[in-house]
Amino acid sequence: MNNVEEIIQKANKYRWDIGENLHDSILESIYTDAARIADKAVTREGGKQKFDWDRWIDKLVTGRWTGFPIMFLLLVIVFWLTISGANVPSAMIASLLVDTVHPLLKDGANFLHFPWWLSGVLIDGAYLALAWVISVMLPPMAIFFPMFTLLEDFGYLPRVAFNMDNLYRRVGAHGKQALTMSMGFGCNAAGVIAARIIDSPRERIIAIITNNFSLCNGRWPTQILIATIFIGGAVPSFLAGVTSAAAVMIVAVLGVVFSLVVSWALSRSVLKGEASAFSLELPPYRPPRFLQTLYTSLIDRTLMVLWRAVVFAAPAGVAIWLVSNVTIANVSLAEYFIKWTDPYAMIIGLNGVIILAYIIAIPANEIVIPTVLMLTVLTTKVAGFGAGAGVMFEMDSVSDTAALLHTGGWSVLTGINLMLFSLLHNPCSTTIYTIYKETKSMKWTLISTFLPIAMGIVICFLVAQFWRLFA
Amino acid sequence: MIDPIYALIIFFAVLIVVLVLFFPGKGIITRWKKIKSQTSRVLIEDALKHLYDCEFKNLDCSLNSLTGNLTLRADQTASVISNLESMGLVTSTGNKISLTSEGRSYALRVVRIHRLWERYLADNTSVSETEWHTIAEEREHETTDEDANRLAARLGNPLVDPHGDPIPNADGEILVKQGITLNNLEEGKYARIIHIEDEPKEVYAQLTAQGLYPGMQIYVLQSSKGKIRFEADGEECVLAPVLASNLTVVPFTEKESVQESFENLSSLETDGAATIIGISNAMRGQQRRRMLDFGIVPGTVVHTRLRSLKGDPAAYEVRGALIALRKNQSDLIHIKKIKEN
Repeated sequence: MNNVEEIIQKANKYRWDIGENLHDSILESIYTDAARIADKAVTREGGKQKFDWDRWIDKLVTGRWTGFPIMFLLLVIVFWLTISGANVPSAMIASLLVDTVHPLLKDGANFLHFPWWLSGVLIDGAYLALAWVISVMLPPMAIFFPMFTLLEDFGYLPRVAFNMDNLYRRVGAHGKQALTMSMGFGCNAAGVIAARIIDSPRERIIAIITNNFSLCNGRWPTQILIATIFIGGAVPSFLAGVTSAAAVMIVAVLGVVFSLVVSWALSRSVLKGEASAFSLELPPYRPPRFLQTLYTSLIDRTLMVLWRAVVFAAPAGVAIWLVSNVTIANVSLAEYFIKWTDPYAMIIGLNGVIILAYIIAIPANEIVIPTVLMLTVLTTKVAGFGAGAGVMFEMDSVSDTAALLHTGGWSVLTGINLMLFSLLHNPCSTTIYTIYKETKSMKWTLISTFLPIAMGIVICFLVAQFWRLFA
Repeated sequence: MIDPIYALIIFFAVLIVVLVLFFPGKGIITRWKKIKSQTSRVLIEDALKHLYDCEFKNLDCSLNSLTGNLTLRADQTASVISNLESMGLVTSTGNKISLTSEGRSYALRVVRIHRLWERYLADNTSVSETEWHTIAEEREHETTDEDANRLAARLGNPLVDPHGDPIPNADGEILVKQGITLNNLEEGKYARIIHIEDEPKEVYAQLTAQGLYPGMQIYVLQSSKGKIRFEADGEECVLAPVLASNLTVVPFTEKESVQESFENLSSLETDGAATIIGISNAMRGQQRRRMLDFGIVPGTVVHTRLRSLKGDPAAYEVRGALIALRKNQSDLIHIKKIKEN
């Protein structure tokens, strides 16, 4: 009758007798058995081993003098190929979707006698946002991700983690965070997904939260444009190119520094309760499988990220159009909001237009600048720019853009702070959603969203005050 | 536009207020919580634990020692004791206070929850070892019996906490290991550490800073009034006898095999080979399981293959796979070097 209880008691008694090392002993005996069986069945060639390629490559890519130069060289090559390779297809897609299809759709809508607001919401709002996101996002991702995957497939990336681990160990993170961070330079959502390669729970969450500090592909154009106008414009023209490029690099490096500092702080505060177990396998090298890699990285990474972005971009386009076209007493919602936030935004060296642009363009950093330009035209009422309220646009000429922004009251400080705020603000909604999917935790999602904004506001505030004091 | 000087003054004022309020460990909010948490339940449970501790160590427990332990005024302690008496948990005769059997089982329940939490913090979180006790001290009052059983089941019903103290089982039974304190161990003897006292905190921090952990094998080189010099996991340690009395050890009997001298995996030079002797008990939880999964078990042959720039991490070849380990991990893997001809 009391059979079960007896068994449980017996088990408890044995537990006390056997002690703590049971699991170790079991595993040890399993390995001993396996080794004995393998010895019986497998014959090994004796004698001196042939030249070992793996060992040779390992010595090269992790070597004292060769490891880091090779790493930076590869990184530069990947970025250069991405940036220079993406320009042409980006321009092609933009001219197709924005310059050709958009007017066609408008004509079609007129032909079918759509009311103006319907064609506005659907075509100027939803469609244009979509077109913009696809044309800016797709080409770089379609180049960057396959190259990254190829390096991964070859077996090189774990060696990068090996080289970088010393630095990341000091801030309580995992060497593989160097990889998720570089992935974040392509796209933060993809970087967050890539954090799956870190199997230690604490380090994985750190990598996810700090990924936003990698300047993603949607933010590089903003940085470059603003640096060219405001930093390059503030120095003699023969220095303009170098200075603005340096400014962009400084912001990117600042992002890396922030990711390390925040990793350090997180691992010593909110993340103490998570387990940490370091392990890093260095798999053998193998020739990369090109076609398979191309296919999987297109499907898994590029298309998935793009799909999520598209899903979020369309409603944002609608919102952008609506806030600039819904009017109360002949003044649009956007103008009310901008007027109301402007004094507060000025304190942190930004302006109401930027604040509104970052709120309504949350689905994708790519549409921040088009939205800023549209809103500037809307509020300053300058003639001759853009295509009407709620229609995002970009200008071919940098000097025209500069002129428009100067009319909008922008100073060098606004430019600098916009660059900083572009680095330090909430991740785009695609990334936020991805963080939630990956961590299944509201807490980490909220921290990843609001921590960068808080940092951005504080830093922009400090820069603005010191700028006004000394400049 | 607000004057930048005023803006900065306001900013730093707000910053200071926020720091004063929320600074981890020392902020007003934390202190306020601590004071609020001194409820009667907490006081009762802490008093019972202290009484149990005295009983376990065969010490007489007085109102004074209890007052000191609970950081209360004497009259407050007296009211706690009379409260306990009326609940039938303790009896006091003269100056001596002792537990009734109900009181003992209540105390054991609290001790069990405390040690389970310590075990949990050690195995499943990255909380540093100096903080285990403090956090467990808070959580023990908030955990129900069912939660404690669930926690125990999740941890695989552990027998001892990370300091080597036995964890009472759900029925209140407790395993008692007999040992002597390190200052009483003779020179030239091998012994195993079975317990490191975790109170007072400062002493515990000093002991763990030396890398001592329960299950560690030691060999006494010199034991005198002034200092005790011993070898622990191949490294020499020196402790004052006062500190050494916080370590409980069991001397090896003749029959037991004394582990021969060994070195740590981190000391293996590049391209050197060695046989694994074991993984130290200081490697716990997930991390230990990971090592075992890699096949790092006694008898496995390892080679050091690569060192990163600063030597940490290093990559080792284990059973045909190349695995990178950090120094704080390879320090905890015991090896015997293989001399290659």
